[in-house]
Order: sequence, then structure tokens, then C-alpha cells
Amino acid sequence: FFFVSSTGHQDRVWQAAWHPTKTLLATCSGDKTVRLWQPASHDNFSEWHCVETLEGAHKRTIRSVAWSPTGNEIATASFDATTGIWENDPRENDWECVATLEGHENEIKSVSWSSTGALLATCSRDKSVWIWEVEQDNDFECLSVLQEHTQDVKMVTWHPKLEILASASYDDTIKIWKEDDDDWYCADTLQGHTSTVWSLDFNAEGDQIVSASDDQTLRIWKMYKANNPQGVMTPNGDAAWKSICTLSGFHERCIYSVSWSKVNDRIASVSGDNSIRIFEKDMEREDPDAPVYKNLTTTTDAHGVYDINGVAWFPTEKHADWLSTVGDDGLVRIWRLVE
Amino acid sequence: MAQNLINANPTVYNTKTLIRKETEAELDDDIEDPIDAQEVFDLIRSISDPEHPLTLEQLNVTQFEHIQVDNQSSKILIEFTPTIPHCSMATLIGLCIRVRLLRSLPDRFKVDIRVRKGTHQSEGAVNKQLNDKERVAAALENNHLLEVVNQCLATASLRGTEVAAN
Repeated sequence: FFFVSSTGHQDRVWQAAWHPTKTLLATCSGDKTVRLWQPASHDNFSEWHCVETLEGAHKRTIRSVAWSPTGNEIATASFDATTGIWENDPRENDWECVATLEGHENEIKSVSWSSTGALLATCSRDKSVWIWEVEQDNDFECLSVLQEHTQDVKMVTWHPKLEILASASYDDTIKIWKEDDDDWYCADTLQGHTSTVWSLDFNAEGDQIVSASDDQTLRIWKMYKANNPQGVMTPNGDAAWKSICTLSGFHERCIYSVSWSKVNDRIASVSGDNSIRIFEKDMEREDPDAPVYKNLTTTTDAHGVYDINGVAWFPTEKHADWLSTVGDDGLVRIWRLVE
Repeated sequence: MAQNLINANPTVYNTKTLIRKETEAELDDDIEDPIDAQEVFDLIRSISDPEHPLTLEQLNVTQFEHIQVDNQSSKILIEFTPTIPHCSMATLIGLCIRVRLLRSLPDRFKVDIRVRKGTHQSEGAVNKQLNDKERVAAALENNHLLEVVNQCLATASLRGTEVAAN
């Protein structure tokens, strides 16, 4: 496990997001900017530079940053209650804020693009989840305002293939949202965590979710479709999600972020206990309805004495062993998992 | 004005003249003084109450006995006692304590702040909010709230000394 460290942000860094294909990382911070980072050259990954700073569009902390599936747009979610849409001008390789989405009553905590790029989801301390349709010419239409969480919604993330959305909340639950004839509704509520759910991520297939909580555990949830052979009840014909594994006793403080590699199936989590942990399914004890995960490796004090807020695996085969982390120290770190 | 106060007539406690007796080791600059409960108490005891011209120590909101410091593992637990069980100022008081410690302690400390068990009717909700760093960060970007917090903290640097002078 080795790392490169990059400085530039002037405040705590909240989240990191990899470009869908390029070796380009976006990070967002309390300093109201998004920064884009790239290695010094195609064969020198030991030095990363800030190649672009997206600034001026938000008056407060940028809490979340997300790439569109093409990598040509970036969405930013801010405590100023707006979502910014940034577009890349390929001629100048310049980024410009081309739209600002308003509507949430207060801080926006997370933003996510659907797999096709046709939909955008945002969530807020106002307890709601909004679904936006991406139209021509940087026009966004709000399709639905979902208000079933009873508290602050911390994160939204789309299914890797389908138009299914998952949200995580301060109310300790995860909700699954689906569309039925233009109507979005809550298809399932996942209960089990005993405190705030901060983060979640689907596996590559989209039939499992990992969630990270202030209760210091990670949970793996599995989707059971109607008439499943295991006999899991599926009310209303919607698939039901069940907790099939709890990883406890590893992190000692709140787990702020989790990333499930779509390439090698490994799970990385980061915490207020200053550590990064990597988990891997134990293949010798394979039971699809009760998997066992082992802690492959742990890096303590990965950002010194500081909380780690975000973690993200590189999304493609090219650098599947790369991991980025961001922390309260304002640093962005790139790690490589060495076997 | 008085009828608008949450707790119009609080009990005022005689503050103990709990002042650190400096030992020879502490006066010696070559010996490191680990941060202990007394140091943390000194940092927060003279924070002003949001609605009374009194310190948290005078209102018995903070007590030396309810501070745990584990210097070795950089962990601090502070329990405070709202003046009344339905005090709507509890979150603000806790926020003042958090901000004071954020500004004064080394970054390595992980601080947990809680209402003392059984002293507030919404202790679960207050505790959860005070320990959610994202909500604390958002609160501190609110200029009005920050002003109120700063007002409460204006007296914090007295570290109990005005009591000693009496």
C-alpha cells in the first residue's frame, strides 16, 4: 500500500470521485471549490497535480461531487442549497458552471447521476430526495420530490445499470426508490443500522449494497426478487432487500464512506478512527445468503490524526488497484493496493 | 424580557475555586504536560450561558467530574447537564463547547460531547446532532449562529480565573 499525497484544498475535503474512464480525480471541499487532479505524466503516477479548480458557483461548502457517465459534466452539491452543473468545453478544456438547480430548503448533502446519464438525484438536510430529468441544453426538470425519510438525507446513489435509487439517512435507514408509470415511490426501507447511515455503494451487478454507519458497522444487503427460492417475503411484488452480513468490530468510530470496487469486488471503508480498511469475501466459506468478509488489510493513520471522509476505488480495469481518500487534513491521497 | 427566557430563574451555584496547583514539573518547560481533565475543564468552564450573564460552571452545566480525557489515545468525553430537562438551548450549549475545543485543542483529539444521562428529555437527539460533524460544519457556516456562539465564547478565555479573584 503506497500513496501519493496532494495538497491544494484550503479546508476539509469531503468527497472524491474518479472520472469514469480517465485518470482524473475530482474532489470537493469546505473551501467551496472542486479540484481536478491528474498524474504528472502518463507513466509517472508518483506525482499528482491540481489541473483545474472549479470555483465561484457556490457560496458555501461543496459536500458532494459526481461525474456524468460520459465524463463531460460534473454535478456539485452544496450547503448553499443549490446543485451546480459544470460542463467541459473540449476546445479549451475548460470547465464552466452552466446550470444551477434550486429547490431544496437547505444544505444539499449528495448528488448522483443515473447510469445512462438521463437522471440526476439530490438529497438534503430538508429530509427530501429529488429526482431530476436531464433535458437538452442544460435544462433540468424536477420529476419527483420524495419525502419519506424522517431526517437529514446523507447520500444518494444510483444502481449501476437500472433506474433504481438508494438513499441513506440520519434516520438510520436506507430507502430504495423506483419508478412506476412516471411515479417515483419507495419500494423498500432497509432497517438494521442503529445510527446515521453515511454512505452506500452497490456492487457491480447491482444486486447487493454495502452501507456504512455511525454505529461503526458496515452492512451488506442483498436483493431478493419476487418468488425467490429462499422464501424471502416480497410485499407488493417489489424486490426485498435483506441484511446478509454485518462487519462489526473493525472501525472504532463513525464510518464516513464506503466504496465497492466494480472490478475486483473489494470493499474499502474509511472512518473517523483515521483508518482505511479493505474487505474481501472469504471464498472458502461461500454462502450467497450469508457471506463472510475478511479484513484484507488496514492502514491506520492514513491521513495522520485526521478523520477520513471519502474513499473511492478507480472505476475500471486499468488501475483497479487504485484508491483515493480525502480527509479533514485537506489532503487528497492516492493509494495502490500491493498484493 | 424575562418571560421569554427558557429558564428564567436558574439556580446559581457557588463555583468551587478549583484552580490547578502548579507543580514543579508543570513549571519546568522541559517536561511535557499531558492534556488532562483539568485542562479541558479550564477551557470550557467560563463559556457564557446563551441567556444568562453566567458561566457554564456557575450554572453547574459543566463539571470537572464529568470530563474524561484519555491523552494516550487522544479521546475526550464531555458530559454536560442542561439547567432544565426541556432546555431548548442544550444543542447550542453543546455546540459552544465543541467549537471552543475545536479551536483550542490539538487536532489529534477526538471529542465526544453528550448530555449527562437522564438530564434532558431529548438527550438522544441532542447527542446525535452534536456529534454529527457535517451538521456542526453546516451550523458554523450560518453567520447568525456563529455570532451567538462567539458571544458565548467571548468569556471562555477567563478559564475560571474571575472566580478565583472573588
